[in-house]
Amino acid sequence: MTKRTSQSVRWVGQGMPRVDADGKVRGTTRYVNDVDYKGVLHGVVVRSPVARGILKGLVPDPAFDWSPIVLATAKDVPGENVVVMHDRTMPLIAEIGAEIRYRGEPVAVVAARTPELAAEAARRVRVEVEELPPLLTLQEAIAIFKATPEKLDSMKSQDIVKGDVATGFAAADEIVEAEYWAGHQEQLYLENQGLVVFPQKDGSILAEGSIQCPYFPVHELNDCLKLPPEKIRVRQTAIGGAFGGKEEYPTMLIGYAALPALKSGKPVKIAYERNEDILFTTKRHPVWVRYKTGVKKDGTLTAIECDFILDGGAYLTISDVVMFRGILHCAVAYRCENVTIRGKVARTNSFPCGAFRGFGAPQAIWGIESHVDAIAARLGRAPHEYRRQIHARPGDVTPTGQVLSKENGSTACLELALKRADFAKKLKQVSRGRLRKGQRKLYGVGLAFFAHGSAFTGDGEAKFKAKGRVELARLEGGKPVVDIRVSSTEMGQGVHTIFTQIAADALSLPPAHVRFPMADTGLVPNSGPTVASRTTMVVGNVVHRAAQDLKRQIEAFASLRFFQGAPAELRASQLVAPGAKPVPFAKVAKALLAEIGPASGFFQFELPADIRWDQATFKGDSYPGYSWSANVAEVEIDPLTCELEVKRVTAIVDVGRVINPTLAAGQVEGGLTQALGYAIMEKIGTGKNGLYDAARLQTYIIPTALDVPEYDVKFVEYPYSFAPPGGKGLGELPMDGLAPAIANAVEAATGRRLRQIPITPESIFAALHAPQGGTP
Amino acid sequence: MKITETIDIRFPKTLAEAVRLQASEKTRGKLLAGGTDLMVQWAAGVPIPKRAVSVWNLPELCAIEVFPDRIEIGAGVTHAFLRDAVQIHRHVPALIAAAATVGAKQIQARGTLGGNAANASPAGDTAPALLVTGGSVLLASVSGTREVPLAEFWTGYRQIAARADEIILAFRLPKKGKAQERFRKIGTRQAQAISKVMAASRILVEKGTIRSAAIALGSIAPTPVRLAEVEAFLAGKKLSPKLIDEAEKLAQATVQPIADIRSTAEYRRWASGRLVRDALENL
Ligand SMILES: Cc1cc2nc3c(=O)[nH]c(=O)nc-3n(C[C@H](O)[C@H](O)[C@H](O)COP(=O)(O)OP(=O)(O)OC[C@H]3O[C@@H](n4cnc5c(N)ncnc54)[C@H](O)[C@@H]3O)c2cc1C
Repeated sequence: MTKRTSQSVRWVGQGMPRVDADGKVRGTTRYVNDVDYKGVLHGVVVRSPVARGILKGLVPDPAFDWSPIVLATAKDVPGENVVVMHDRTMPLIAEIGAEIRYRGEPVAVVAARTPELAAEAARRVRVEVEELPPLLTLQEAIAIFKATPEKLDSMKSQDIVKGDVATGFAAADEIVEAEYWAGHQEQLYLENQGLVVFPQKDGSILAEGSIQCPYFPVHELNDCLKLPPEKIRVRQTAIGGAFGGKEEYPTMLIGYAALPALKSGKPVKIAYERNEDILFTTKRHPVWVRYKTGVKKDGTLTAIECDFILDGGAYLTISDVVMFRGILHCAVAYRCENVTIRGKVARTNSFPCGAFRGFGAPQAIWGIESHVDAIAARLGRAPHEYRRQIHARPGDVTPTGQVLSKENGSTACLELALKRADFAKKLKQVSRGRLRKGQRKLYGVGLAFFAHGSAFTGDGEAKFKAKGRVELARLEGGKPVVDIRVSSTEMGQGVHTIFTQIAADALSLPPAHVRFPMADTGLVPNSGPTVASRTTMVVGNVVHRAAQDLKRQIEAFASLRFFQGAPAELRASQLVAPGAKPVPFAKVAKALLAEIGPASGFFQFELPADIRWDQATFKGDSYPGYSWSANVAEVEIDPLTCELEVKRVTAIVDVGRVINPTLAAGQVEGGLTQALGYAIMEKIGTGKNGLYDAARLQTYIIPTALDVPEYDVKFVEYPYSFAPPGGKGLGELPMDGLAPAIANAVEAATGRRLRQIPITPESIFAALHAPQGGTP
Repeated sequence: MKITETIDIRFPKTLAEAVRLQASEKTRGKLLAGGTDLMVQWAAGVPIPKRAVSVWNLPELCAIEVFPDRIEIGAGVTHAFLRDAVQIHRHVPALIAAAATVGAKQIQARGTLGGNAANASPAGDTAPALLVTGGSVLLASVSGTREVPLAEFWTGYRQIAARADEIILAFRLPKKGKAQERFRKIGTRQAQAISKVMAASRILVEKGTIRSAAIALGSIAPTPVRLAEVEAFLAGKKLSPKLIDEAEKLAQATVQPIADIRSTAEYRRWASGRLVRDALENL
């Protein structure tokens, strides 16, 4: 690892150990719930006991001693009672006389010196609601949509249109049509939601806690707290996993805690226990997706028509963008001239769904990858051969009209996956419902092939202009250190390590010189939220460029101060100039700090000027770059019990330049395991009273180490050359495709196509024993 | 919510001391063995008792004794201990297999056989394996020890035949002798899995004829149950593929499972028969 080849590109590409490993392994890292905040009040949210109704009253029990309790209701909202996410419909807290729209909707917040007293006080508030009939599930919403499409209460609709599907269907020899369903999924981060709001003397607030996107609350609570952005400061504490679950939800939590905090002038902490966290925070959106496809005998896809409807829950929050990402992934991986995709976000009386690794893409890919197998089966083609024919590759035009550049390793992923998994040979051994000679279990192998758009959708990054700094501003133990100042948060994915590698290379300094303090909106510029598989690609580039900027400043200083104006270069921890004795970096840095003060390198991200995007028509370059992957899943099903075991998974991944192969492989294996749970275990519903029915770890089933299959993960590198060091999005991609690969393998094993996940022994049993069970 | 209630926990050193504490309502406490059921229940909102009496490591409860015809396993023996007690594996293999599927290593190290039985969950993994031995439970109190057949021990949903002043001392289990045992669990995943359905069996076959059959299922009724009709049907019959088909169907016709968060009634009904098939096909 220490072999020094050239001065640059030394740490990028290495499997450097995580910079945060020590504290996490030793248990010295302190999460928000480990910190003893002196003098805080503990907040507990009082919630609606019903899924829908009119809030009639809040009656504090007169027999209870309310003197030590702070009770905040909608009356205590300083400004307009609204959380501004992607619309202005959601109140922070329900008002008397207003409609309650989901079970658990906050109606009051109580705070007290102990969590127990606060919980008791919360129980002593009688919540009076005049009940109205709720619409609880996506199934109910889709039944309405199928009967009368206009009657669906859609919070946001968006179409993508390319060519003309009517022409495409007319040219087709076969029409293949099917529907696919997926349910909620809980993020199940190890550390539950938790944060503290400190009211400040000047009327502003400081919030700290397990927060994935510190800048979100800064811009979402202004109207309701009547505070401008500069009066809402947010900083992260160590985050024990997030997966999107701590993306937009903490904004609401800050809002809840802020009410008693501002009312009492005391800091208020809200930390959920697991049960409350599962019951009353966001989940992955359930989906119903219907594909109607036209295909010629030679396999050419002539038309793709798709309805993609997410269950948004009771309020829009950020679901429009989740749906956008969903529809942009519904047909992006295949060649087709005529495409119509209609996306909608159904309103139901369930907890608002939110961000979760993949952000709509896993739902879309679940549908299309199941469906492509169904088309291949109709044509009598092998699934891999068929994908070889129709998959998108450089030069092809996506449904939004984007021409795929050379930096898309789609074919390489597909081919290497087929080769490493020995797919063609294994396909000959599949059981198709009957044990072959020598088989004791039904065997199946399945393939999925897919892309994931990196960074914000469309021209989001062009508009946003992520900003970041790399500073030389302080000594630590007498030694100069360089601080990375961006708003990206470490939540287990490894960003602190890879940015350290990127900065070290750009500066030509060893990582030991680089620090990455946790994000604090009071100290870091807005480099955007840690979401959308954008961090390595976009903010990584910002760090790279800002570090280069800092390096130039250090070199300029050294040139004048140490080399009589001769051009100096920072190389391998030394400043060197032609013909002069090198000066150690530490000496130069100390002189710089002492004589002219801190130096700061800055960069603001730009997209290439030729990126085009029209948000109104959804035409143009929908993502700056695409990561690609092909997954092969091998399954065994016990014919005795229909128990399903995923034995082996091959995942070939193009995420551009791999900054840290060890961490990248870890991300892939972790994402695949989360996708395994989505595919075959994780099940949670809102059928009864709108309350999630699997709210404990005993009933919400995720994979254990023993459930994890053998993984074969390999990278092929097609770097995003516009933004060195050239990474593309990695975080979400591994979550996207395993579910359909498993469903396709189950079809190969049983001869039945299951169109709903999770695929459980119960659903396999039902498919095998129903007369028409699940055939395509 | 965090548990901050105070529990007065007594740690008796002997069984005699423990039964004395349990004899009087004034000193009686909730019996606490490994705590792997109780702690979870308390955290989930089951009322926390004022007093508890620990039977963890009580010497009289931790013994395994082997007699010519039977073995006696103390109620305080852990699943891990059972799993590793190879000397007894051939006498009660289904029970050992069941103990080895409880939770995962950590839970097995702490959870006890007595706790599993007394907790009386229909999904308790060791119950069907205990039932098919045709053995009994020894219950201790100040008035001595009484023996209750396992067949009469689980009286209803989460109810057992022990009185409030009694402590489960041990399980008296006839050795399987020439009979064959099998245990099979269908869980929600590979570890830390509560059963959707599980079955244990002890079947004696002589010269191709079933002499006696004991088959028990868990997670399909409010208590673990023996499949008496299937057992009676099988007794005395020649083992054949047709017989197995019929036994599978009979089992499916007799069970009355319910649907819950873990499974559907239809699947449980079907799987009940499949596990009977599994027991017979592996003879
Ligand atoms: C993560 C996890 C996974 C689990 N997985 C499984 C599983 O796969 N299968 C399964 O069957 N169970 C499982 N369990 C439940 C539990 O571990 C077992 O039931 C265990 O055997 C209970 O034993 P214990 O000693 O911990 O009981 P405790 O919790 O100490 O007691 C349980 C009950 O038994 C009573 N009791 C204990 N000892 C006696 C005695 N000597 N006489 C009378 N009453 C007594 C107690 O009063 C209490 O009512 C799991 C639990 C956890 C937390």
